[in-house]
Amino acid sequence: MLDTLIAGLLRGNVYALGAVGISLVFGVMNVVNFAQFSFFGLGAMLAWFFIATLGLPFWLALPLVLVICGGLGLVINITVVRPLAKFLPLAAMLSTYAVSQILDNASQVAFSAQFRVFPAVLPTSNLQIGNMRFGTSDVVMLGTTAVLMVAMSLFLKYGRIGRAIRATSQDQEAALQMGIPVALVQHVSFVIASALGGLAGVFIALYVGVANPSSGLNIGLTAFVAATLGGLGSLVGAVIGGFVLGILESFGIHFFGDTSRQIIIFVILIVVLIVRPGGLLGKIPLISTEPLTGTFLGKGRPFRIPRWVWPVAFLAIGVLIPLTGNNYILTTGTQVLIYAIIAAGFTVTAGQAGVLALGQAGPIAIGAYISAALTLYLDFSFWVALPIAGLVAAIVASILASPIWGVKGHYISIATLGLGIAIVAVIQLVVPQGLYNIPVPQWFGTPLSTPTAYYLIDFGVLVVTLLVMFRIRSSHLGKVISSVGSDEVAALASGVRGRDYKALAFAISAFFAGIGGSLLAHQYTYIDPTIFTMLMSLLVVTIVIMGGVGLPYGAVVGSIILIGAMELLRFTPELRIMVYGLVLILVVRFRPGGILVRNS
Amino acid sequence: MHNMANSLKKAFDLAVEQVNDGGGIDGHPVAIKYEDSQSDPKQSVAVAQKFVGDDSISLVFGDYSSAASIPASPIYTAGKLLQYGFNNSNPNFTAKGSDYQWSTSITTSASYEWTADYIKDQGITSVGVTYLNTADWGVPAYNAFKAEAEKIGLTITDAEGVLDTSDDYRPSLSNAVAGKPEAFVHIGYGPDAAKIVTQLRAIGYDGTFYGGQDEQSFDATPDAVGSIVGAQFLETSPDAAVQAFVTAFKKKYPSETDVTGFEAGAYDALNVAVAAAKIGGTTREGLLEGFKKIKDVPSIVYGTITFDTATRRIASPKLTPTILKEGKWIAYTG
Repeated sequence: MLDTLIAGLLRGNVYALGAVGISLVFGVMNVVNFAQFSFFGLGAMLAWFFIATLGLPFWLALPLVLVICGGLGLVINITVVRPLAKFLPLAAMLSTYAVSQILDNASQVAFSAQFRVFPAVLPTSNLQIGNMRFGTSDVVMLGTTAVLMVAMSLFLKYGRIGRAIRATSQDQEAALQMGIPVALVQHVSFVIASALGGLAGVFIALYVGVANPSSGLNIGLTAFVAATLGGLGSLVGAVIGGFVLGILESFGIHFFGDTSRQIIIFVILIVVLIVRPGGLLGKIPLISTEPLTGTFLGKGRPFRIPRWVWPVAFLAIGVLIPLTGNNYILTTGTQVLIYAIIAAGFTVTAGQAGVLALGQAGPIAIGAYISAALTLYLDFSFWVALPIAGLVAAIVASILASPIWGVKGHYISIATLGLGIAIVAVIQLVVPQGLYNIPVPQWFGTPLSTPTAYYLIDFGVLVVTLLVMFRIRSSHLGKVISSVGSDEVAALASGVRGRDYKALAFAISAFFAGIGGSLLAHQYTYIDPTIFTMLMSLLVVTIVIMGGVGLPYGAVVGSIILIGAMELLRFTPELRIMVYGLVLILVVRFRPGGILVRNS
Repeated sequence: MHNMANSLKKAFDLAVEQVNDGGGIDGHPVAIKYEDSQSDPKQSVAVAQKFVGDDSISLVFGDYSSAASIPASPIYTAGKLLQYGFNNSNPNFTAKGSDYQWSTSITTSASYEWTADYIKDQGITSVGVTYLNTADWGVPAYNAFKAEAEKIGLTITDAEGVLDTSDDYRPSLSNAVAGKPEAFVHIGYGPDAAKIVTQLRAIGYDGTFYGGQDEQSFDATPDAVGSIVGAQFLETSPDAAVQAFVTAFKKKYPSETDVTGFEAGAYDALNVAVAAAKIGGTTREGLLEGFKKIKDVPSIVYGTITFDTATRRIASPKLTPTILKEGKWIAYTG
């Protein structure tokens, strides 16, 4: 027991450092900062480079890492985050995700993706309590965090800028009116957060013994949960959240095993959000608007699409490509179509209800597994399994998501992100083996396994999806859902139960995600949990943002650009992700409503 | 995966260069087209279609990971293009594949059955185990190990499924060694084994560590010294063919300090494909025929390679116990 507790404390230490940075930036900018995740990986790699390659002593390498990470943080804030955060917190959040992709890849190009042995700068197992051995290294880490946290709290309490940080995070506009240099405050916060991220990265590497550029994502996500647990914006909360999560995680793994790690973390998150929707120490928002509300929708009107475009697009995508395209184009096309189906279904949640759910990989996985299992073990026909997969995905996802609709603002994004990861983690726990030989669709005994057949099936489903989406949008129901997204307070005042309509919108999106999952499963004929990643969820979101968050047909355009363009960039694997990140930033910067939406 | 892909590519390029210097396949030069699928099934499927549609391609090596190879298999089968998953240790790649899926990689089941037998032979009666809880690799490997251990009477005091994306294994490890096993087995790859062996020693466990991989981060991990695994390829082997390969590889790529089983497997794979083409011809059908007929192809991993045409794997592959000493794996005879 004691050793589990100590392991949890050491772990919590790292989470606390990361969480303080995330909370700090959130407090002053109202932006969830994904780029912070990259600083974990980057800090570790820089420290490795300075110590192992350049031979610098640890005590010199550490401040260097902090300065570089802090400096990079400043550059990112000036060039990307602040210009967007001023008018669109959510766009800024997505751009921080793009920045983190760019940083991770740049770091991979610079240091290679190789795992590196981190030099043992201090003894790691010279001390012992009970059965648990630990080292001077661990004590120094805990001590450093303690000193830093005391220094931080003194700075925030008495320092000029520290007080300005607190004022800004309480009320940005009031702070501005009182003459507080909010820009400077935000820069300083970003620098501190980035440096803390780098420090946490070094600590992780010291503790684990191995570092690699992409190691930040998982720890970052957990630190993010720790910040949420403590209450976004509360620094004391972040520290408490970090240690609490570290210890709970450690005991959870002790009892349920390492494979349930992610489930444990997100169950804790969801329980806390239900019991205390603002986190342990956060403010509980009484009335708050969703981050998407009145931003994307208010920023512009969709371009008018001339009537002739529809039949032309139908002929081009539905007839011309299947007749003339080679198998490579058709296979890439099936991916484009499937993601278009999933994303078009998602517009009702993201665009109309104004909820940026980040966990679509969850319902996609449910649909894929249900459809595969029905056809494999119960001899269902694909055509029957397809709608059932959608229905089951909608029902299961709705039940699982039902507790989170009381949560507001960014918390809903985080909770759905967690939900998506937890669903896939549960599937991995229950069926770790992949499913093989999933039957291909048949038409009266003829197997439809050619790329053309897949393409046409997907095209047909996409057309139906778009028709359904248009029908929903123009119905009374669609208008009510839109009213929740446009102005939740006004909708509530008019007697619309926003919570229920958000849940309904989410269920509709989950239905189409499940359909998409089923189509994927029968075309791959093999699925396993590694296919349904967080990146898949984020791809769905970026497709929607790219095309126009409330436009089902925008999802088709977004899908063509993001999946098609990724294929075009195949010749340069190293730059691919970076170009992807850059495109995302540019779109969000210059067409914040999506490329089919005119700026207003 | 980029780093792995890169070293495989180096080994392929060396083999291609040597084959072409020696006159190619009956005068025809050999060439390889590379595509990066990032081990992502979404992309490996698209790449497979691209290859199938390219008439100049007679055989495909890969994918690197079974999770990306298997979804692409039906496309290769439909295109009658031989998919040579030279690195795919998941038994299902061939077992659930068609006539067009072949591999020279030893299956995880075979190598972990060997591991269980070897540990028992060392006079050890109980082990604690961690294994990667991954569909394409760790789970089938652990199941094979467990079945063999039960058969021969090797006690598993506790087995913990872990994820390679984790980095703090202490809570799992303290469970795994709670029953005081005589030795420890980790079923996984190099980077995760590096973290596990470091943390295993940090919590005070001193038994022999059976696990790890000839890979840079594991080889350089201080606590990994003394780890034992069964290996097919040994850079330090006195075998003349092996030494000729190691010398040629380091000459062509002076920055490479280590040559591992990955490079050796890729180098072998190209030579196997060339041998098959010499028998059956360079067409897609010819290569398939060639794979069915080749016998005793010289190999730096196995000595010689002959396929069992029923399983489309190597007939009875052999492993040598090796121990990590001073950053190098050497044959172990203790």
